[in-house]
Amino acid sequence: MLNTMKNFFLSLKTTVWTLFALVCFFFIGAYMMPAHREVFLSMNDQILLRWVDNTASGNLRHTWWFFAAFAALVLLTINTLVCSLQAVKGKWSRADFLLRISPQIVHIGFLFILLAHLLGAGWGYKLSGMMPEGAYAPLPENRALHLQKIHVTTDARGYVLDWSAEAALFENNTPVKTGTLGPNKPLLYKGVGIHLKSLNFDRGPAALLVIARDPGVVWAFAGGVLFMLGSVTLLALKWKKV
Amino acid sequence: MEILLLILYPLALYRPRLILLALALHSVVIVSTAMRFGRIPLIGLHDTLGFLAFSIGTVYIIAGWNRKRDHFSFLTIPLILLFLAGSLVSPSMEGPLPPVLKTIWFELHVILSFVSYALFAVGAIFGVLFLLRGEQADESSQYQSLLLGYVLFSVAMIFGGIWAFLAWGTYWLWTPKELWTTIVWFFYSLYLHARLVRGWAGPKVVWMGIIGFAIVLFTYVGVGLLMKSSHEF
Repeated sequence: MLNTMKNFFLSLKTTVWTLFALVCFFFIGAYMMPAHREVFLSMNDQILLRWVDNTASGNLRHTWWFFAAFAALVLLTINTLVCSLQAVKGKWSRADFLLRISPQIVHIGFLFILLAHLLGAGWGYKLSGMMPEGAYAPLPENRALHLQKIHVTTDARGYVLDWSAEAALFENNTPVKTGTLGPNKPLLYKGVGIHLKSLNFDRGPAALLVIARDPGVVWAFAGGVLFMLGSVTLLALKWKKV
Repeated sequence: MEILLLILYPLALYRPRLILLALALHSVVIVSTAMRFGRIPLIGLHDTLGFLAFSIGTVYIIAGWNRKRDHFSFLTIPLILLFLAGSLVSPSMEGPLPPVLKTIWFELHVILSFVSYALFAVGAIFGVLFLLRGEQADESSQYQSLLLGYVLFSVAMIFGGIWAFLAWGTYWLWTPKELWTTIVWFFYSLYLHARLVRGWAGPKVVWMGIIGFAIVLFTYVGVGLLMKSSHEF
């Protein structure tokens, strides 16, 4: 029994069929998402676990593919771990060290990225909203944000060239960080990112802000670096052998 | 000047290395647009279809440097012309980059994505050649093309994730475009693993390389046109 299970998880066919199942589940998801917008609308506005709790579990008719994909990812994770452990077992020689280690580095990178998603889905927080210029907003962890000033630069034809907002962050009523937010320029403080998404001038200058704490970010970054390192090395080694 | 490309690219059907003329002019078009608007032309269908045609042309000349005129040219050049024609009939976006796109991560993400799409396209063409002629060299060329495409596509996705984190505080969004992009990534992961399964190498896996490009095309054009997402294309 144990051997059958081991062989199942060690099998390359398990990898292939699990990947195929994932392709199918994501395909169904890509159809379901626009077809049932009301179910998936809030998916990106909060951490995923909250969406699963509040929305997905009560709408299984439209969200079953998401749970099926999650199950397939769990299977793929076990399959990847078992295969990688098997691959690093045994004698190593200097000649094939890189060729043996680089696919495992790719696998570790992939697993780190999955772990990052898991951490981000279950922990941390995500808030977003329009904040008028000059306003204060309370944040979790006894913090508050003051949006001091909004700047917009346009060219002679009226094209928006750049925008920015000066902001100050308070912790326990004490200013701890000030800075200029801009597109792709968040204000980062103790693992929390304050991101300027866009501006709106309908009722005076206001900024659409996203404030997020994602404990998975570091893992995602490490996973991305490992994945790149491993795959580029593997590519270089395999290129000449083809 | 872009219309002229429709005449220059087919010259490769006469002699493959003549594509260098078309690529040289295409480079001039890209550089002059970049200088005019202060950005690399990578926004909207007009820019990206043109860049995809250019990328396929570049991959074609590298992969086929030692090839004489053959089916490879007869399959690749019409594909380039198709994308080029698509670019010419699509409206171009004038003006500078919107502020959120002004980052090196956007440029790296898009350039690497389209170079990988070009490699997936050429991989699919090698697959068709293998099915037509049954020569092992075509299967190996498909694998080489798709392996490089997969690595560049993965790097493009990672850079896209970094950009999304800086812009929106998240490296992943649940939208149809992201799902389709992940489908592409899973599918080529599937191809690379399936090739290692004993008894699967050959036509079965080669077909995967061809189907993969159909998925890429839908992800690039179909999703952009049919579904709303954080991506325009």
